[in-house]
Amino acid sequence: MKRLFLIIILVILSMTSCQKEKITLSQNVSETFYVENRGASMRVLVEGNTSSNIFIVFVHGGPGVGSFVYNSDYLSKNIEDKYAIVYWDERNSGASQGNSNGMFLTLEQMTDDLKRVIQVLKFRYGQSSEVFIMGHSFGGLLTTSFMTDGNNQDMVQGWIFADGSQNYPLNDTLTRQMLLAEGQQQIASDKNRAEWQEIVAYCNAHSGNFSLEESNQLMKYAAEAETYLDEVTKVNYLELLWNDAVKFNWPLTSMLMNYLYSSEASFNKELAKTGFSASLKKITLPVLILFGQYDFVCPKGLGYDLFNRISSADKKIVISPVSGHNIMFQDEVLFCREINEFIELYR
Amino acid sequence: MKNKKNFERFLTGSLFLFLSLNGFTQPDSLISRVRLSSNLLISYNSSLIYPGIRIGIELPVYSINLTKKANDGRNKSIIKDRFISLNSGWYHHPGFHDNLYFNAEWTMRRTYKERLFNDYSIGAGYSKTFLGGTTYTADKNGTVKIIKSAGYNYALIIAGAGFGFDFSKSRGIPLSVFGKFDILTMFPYNSTIYIRPIIEAGLIYRPESFLQILTKRRFRNK
Repeated sequence: MKRLFLIIILVILSMTSCQKEKITLSQNVSETFYVENRGASMRVLVEGNTSSNIFIVFVHGGPGVGSFVYNSDYLSKNIEDKYAIVYWDERNSGASQGNSNGMFLTLEQMTDDLKRVIQVLKFRYGQSSEVFIMGHSFGGLLTTSFMTDGNNQDMVQGWIFADGSQNYPLNDTLTRQMLLAEGQQQIASDKNRAEWQEIVAYCNAHSGNFSLEESNQLMKYAAEAETYLDEVTKVNYLELLWNDAVKFNWPLTSMLMNYLYSSEASFNKELAKTGFSASLKKITLPVLILFGQYDFVCPKGLGYDLFNRISSADKKIVISPVSGHNIMFQDEVLFCREINEFIELYR
Repeated sequence: MKNKKNFERFLTGSLFLFLSLNGFTQPDSLISRVRLSSNLLISYNSSLIYPGIRIGIELPVYSINLTKKANDGRNKSIIKDRFISLNSGWYHHPGFHDNLYFNAEWTMRRTYKERLFNDYSIGAGYSKTFLGGTTYTADKNGTVKIIKSAGYNYALIIAGAGFGFDFSKSRGIPLSVFGKFDILTMFPYNSTIYIRPIIEAGLIYRPESFLQILTKRRFRNK
């Protein structure tokens, strides 16, 4: 028994001694670290060219989706060769871990988390590191919250807004309008008639002031809608899962349980009422806005609302003609080209 | 009135039939208390491709040797063992966490023809994770610090089912090999639970006299 005890102690010591700090500045880095903040340890994966001193923080959607899915081969070859991409798992998402921390799952807390992640990035890679943030879907709301809060804009060089939302009530209104308009057109063309009729009927029956349930139903129809259109590039997410889950050590059950928890968490009720349109004028940094023409989940109208309200002198909006809600997969070429040009301009 | 009488007759008859049948099938049963050796267990446990190890000790609690007459007239032997096993496990999931856990399990094992066995187990314990990367914390002023040995403590429940082959009677080697599928759950994990499927392949060493425990043993003939 004494020997057994000794072995256990040795195992503990060897594991704790493995936690050495590994900071690499080179052209092809892949390193994971964690940022602890208020009950959550959030995974941060840095990949690509850290010697460029330029870091693009990907702020994922959901809430609860995690950042693993964004780490595609195409981005590795076309962005990470020049800059480093920072894949951050928000609290209660992906590989982020903790105990009973559900009470801290709020937009304010997540905004603070993003600030801490950038502070840690600069600590690790040097205060002269240049940080850009890219918000997708719910990440759009989170990055808007960050950009309009205090002096946070001073921490970053620029903001990329990809198929995001800065205003959930406006988002619901625009989604409904887009579903109705496209639905009527598709029914007239006799394409997926039964599916579109159901969507149009729902939109006609629910005209505004949406509850969380109505909002969720609209989002469900919005996600389905782009799959009915031939113009939209189809993405095989199962193939993505199959190819990447082992390669990138996805903790699948953690991702699933975190997603189930976050998507049903009570803070979604608050999110459904949250909008930042009124405070967008605070934003003066360079902004790149990317949207899919057929994004029903976050319609391009949100991009125009953002574009018109921010005070930035340097701003650009680009609409992909073949993309739905996931422009980084559905129009990879445009996505990478625009980001690379944007960073070269404002680094 | 007539119905009541018939009902009473029916009840008396049924009771008689039940008691007599029970009497005919009453097995020969012998209960004794013997000192049985504990078993040692080691296994490689993995979740898909992530490696791990489990070591444990199986403390005997109860054993039933059941002998049945098969249709062909030969005797069939089934041994039902009950153990309390104390285990220590660890797995490594790169970039996610290392998990060191300790648990106690109730194991039910049934051995057929003194060779093949299956077992079921359920247990509870404690888990300590170590995060899969350097962990930082930053305060409001932007001061960043490294947290050493960062990780979390969880309560743990584990349940599994497996099968194996015992070489001790057939070949005289005090070893068994086994394969097992376990579900490990840890909580509270981000205010929910963490579930991890585990596939095990291992060895059970059955020494003749190691940590002998006074165990109730019962022989039954059917």
